[in-house]
Amino acid sequence: MAWQSYSLSFNQRCGSDFMIIEMKNIKKSFGSNNVLKDVSLSMKGGEICALLGENGAGKSTLMNILGGVHQMDSGSIIVDEKQVEFNTPVDSQKTGIAFIHQELNLINDLPIYENMFLGRELKTKRGSLDLEKMFDETEKMFKRMNVDLDPNKMVRELDSSYKQIVEICRAMMTDASIIIMDEPTTSLTDQEIERVFNMMKTLKNHNVGIIFISHKLNEVMTICDRYLVLRDGNLVAEGAISDVTTKDLARFMVGHDVRTEPLLREKKLGEEILRVEGLTYKHNFKDIHFSIRAGEILGVTGLLGDGRSELFQSIFGADGISSGKIYLNGKQVKISSTTEAISKGIAYLPRNRKENAIIKDMNIRENASIVTWPKFSNRGIINTQKHEETFDEHRKVLHLKMGKMTDNITSLSGGNQQKVVLAKWLAAEPKLLILDNPTQGVDVGAKEDIYDIILKLAAEKIAVVVLSSEAHEIIRVCDRTLVMYHGVIQGEVSGEEMNEHNIMSLATGGQLT
Amino acid sequence: METKPATDKEKNTGKKRNFFEWFKYKWSNEPLFSTAIALVVMVILQTLVLGFDYDSVGSWFQAWTNNWINILRNNAGVAIVALGMTLVIMTGGIDLAVGSTLVATGAFTMVLLDTGNRGLLGIMGMTGIPAFIVTILLVMALGYLLGSLIGVTITKGKVPPFIATLGAMMIFRSVTQHFMQGYNTTVPTEFLQIASFKIGNVMIMPIIYWAVIAYILYYVSKRTTFGRQIIAVGSNERAARLSGVNVNKVKLRVYALMGLLVSIAAIIQVSRIGSMDFSNAGRGMEMDAIAAAVVGGTSMSGGRGFIMGTVYGMLIIAVMNNLLNLFGVPPFLREAFKGFIVICAVLLQKKQQDS
Repeated sequence: MAWQSYSLSFNQRCGSDFMIIEMKNIKKSFGSNNVLKDVSLSMKGGEICALLGENGAGKSTLMNILGGVHQMDSGSIIVDEKQVEFNTPVDSQKTGIAFIHQELNLINDLPIYENMFLGRELKTKRGSLDLEKMFDETEKMFKRMNVDLDPNKMVRELDSSYKQIVEICRAMMTDASIIIMDEPTTSLTDQEIERVFNMMKTLKNHNVGIIFISHKLNEVMTICDRYLVLRDGNLVAEGAISDVTTKDLARFMVGHDVRTEPLLREKKLGEEILRVEGLTYKHNFKDIHFSIRAGEILGVTGLLGDGRSELFQSIFGADGISSGKIYLNGKQVKISSTTEAISKGIAYLPRNRKENAIIKDMNIRENASIVTWPKFSNRGIINTQKHEETFDEHRKVLHLKMGKMTDNITSLSGGNQQKVVLAKWLAAEPKLLILDNPTQGVDVGAKEDIYDIILKLAAEKIAVVVLSSEAHEIIRVCDRTLVMYHGVIQGEVSGEEMNEHNIMSLATGGQLT
Repeated sequence: METKPATDKEKNTGKKRNFFEWFKYKWSNEPLFSTAIALVVMVILQTLVLGFDYDSVGSWFQAWTNNWINILRNNAGVAIVALGMTLVIMTGGIDLAVGSTLVATGAFTMVLLDTGNRGLLGIMGMTGIPAFIVTILLVMALGYLLGSLIGVTITKGKVPPFIATLGAMMIFRSVTQHFMQGYNTTVPTEFLQIASFKIGNVMIMPIIYWAVIAYILYYVSKRTTFGRQIIAVGSNERAARLSGVNVNKVKLRVYALMGLLVSIAAIIQVSRIGSMDFSNAGRGMEMDAIAAAVVGGTSMSGGRGFIMGTVYGMLIIAVMNNLLNLFGVPPFLREAFKGFIVICAVLLQKKQQDS
């Protein structure tokens, strides 16, 4: 097999100062956006290294360069003391780097052993698949890695942790010496996480270097040896995990100087609009309690997999609820469909505009009026004029830049598309407006426009909920913030307490101090 | 930056600099333009093939019109079904059961109106015009019901439309054939007036039904909440639901409407022929309806569709059949041409969308 392709002997690789990988002065920009500004790092074999940073800090770009997905503008990569150049992911794989993405690359309907050889199947002399040999090789690999799995099993039957493990074993089949794991534990239960960690320890004993990308600082503390923190495209901190606490790490990630002034002033709140008690749905969220009053802007934040979108989609009637109560204006309600939610005065602007909000076969006016079709129609016949008037009103407030109302929605930029979606909800005149990632894929100017609108709506006594993963955005517009972690509300912050340190510490499963 | 595409378009539409540019703009920006052009070309071709070998312009025109009225009348039934099919496809679904629903509703017409002594209404002592009206209403109700059944299977049962309607296709025809064994039915001759009533000595009624239904559905698809929600559901079901559209209700109503239209087609067919062959009537109708919709620019993945396009599509296929007839192409080869036209139409639309 391919063991011979090792360029260096095992002993050489185990030497204490031997760097299996070095990245020097990496720079990368996308257009005018400098994503990486001179980043250098190195790591040894048998080391688990945490790569930390906020969204947009440059983690994924750096790893994509290492994985051959992106090409760097300048800098050098040295693997096993040889300078290498990656133009494609295959180049990177050939030097022994394996990138385990969040979305696993396994075929559910094939057995494990066939998945292990996907794309490099073993063949017999006659050209048919050599299933026996593939099976044997897989079994051998599992034995070596202490994995207790039947290679005959279908991948579909495996839970996420075992899928991760199969991917790791597949990487080991190709003699990977460095494994990059991109947030491997986000969708796993505690027990499954334990399983993956054991696997990582085995890899460590085989002298494989692991780069572990994660937002969960507690996990980082348990499993990692070293940390690297990126912020705004710079490597701002690195060192041994044993020297730091989770609070230190959170501080490194956010930085001291990042502080945007809150936009809010003193104000009087109105009646309670929404209260939920003990809301639970499957594994998405459990036992949620909170309330919001007229004119209030409530932030809800957390990291990937926190369940905030799921929570509010359930409140909006798009998903279900297993248990718990929802009160609107003090009265208990049952909301079983989005139509019902809208008639009760709830509006929900979803995340991922393209998948959830934009109807690409329709023009701007129609996209801006879909919610109010039933409202502005006479016996089912749509009152176009009424829609145009309403839309005209809102587009001025929103500073919407567009051509004709009958142009296709896709002719607009992302920011303007988002404003159209916002306009459609404004037309519905909601009492409770839920905005899920309202500034996703929106440029800076449009962001400010959207913040202005949020404040203006609150002044008009609408209760606004802003869901966002960007802490500074939350701090800027919200009165009060709930921080979620794995489907539960980890804590609530407001006023002085509402700063990035506290939010980050709650979002990573910690407590307020 | 953002407004650039719009201004470009305005430049092109506002002042048509010359015919070629205008044509090019229309061709790539108006989805129905190429379909309409194709239709015009085929009609010209057909006119040329018919020839001008007549005594006078008057008699030439007479022959030309007669030919056209024949084409339209023969296709009215399937054309009405194709209109409903367009709406179904626009939601991202499909209805394979139209032929069987046609047979089921047609059979029901017979059961109600049989001229022998077994007609249900006859037994109840109802004859003549009142009986016809009751029959039409009941048959339409049955069509609506059968369509709703399919709709419920698809929405509540979450069965994919292809499977649900494939099953319904087999069930409806088989059940109809079983219960209609030995019924040697004919409807009263007066009932035939529904299709063969003459206006100015021309049998034009089926064409009028087609035109009226096409206009109503055109209006529904363009101007009503229901019509626009169909597009929203077909284009992005998730976004539609998150915008408060009751997706299941829209789908259910579309399949019910499809059933209703099929029952109208069944009444037209029964009243034209006076009877119905339960094992063969409506076979392949679903494919003809889908073909017309597709040639008319409707996208099989949903969200994009045109009622007028389907009218054009139906006419294109009909004129082509007429042409093949005039050319004397052997009957077995004609289907091949139909297939060819369908594929060409989609290739053409793909090209337009890419450009």
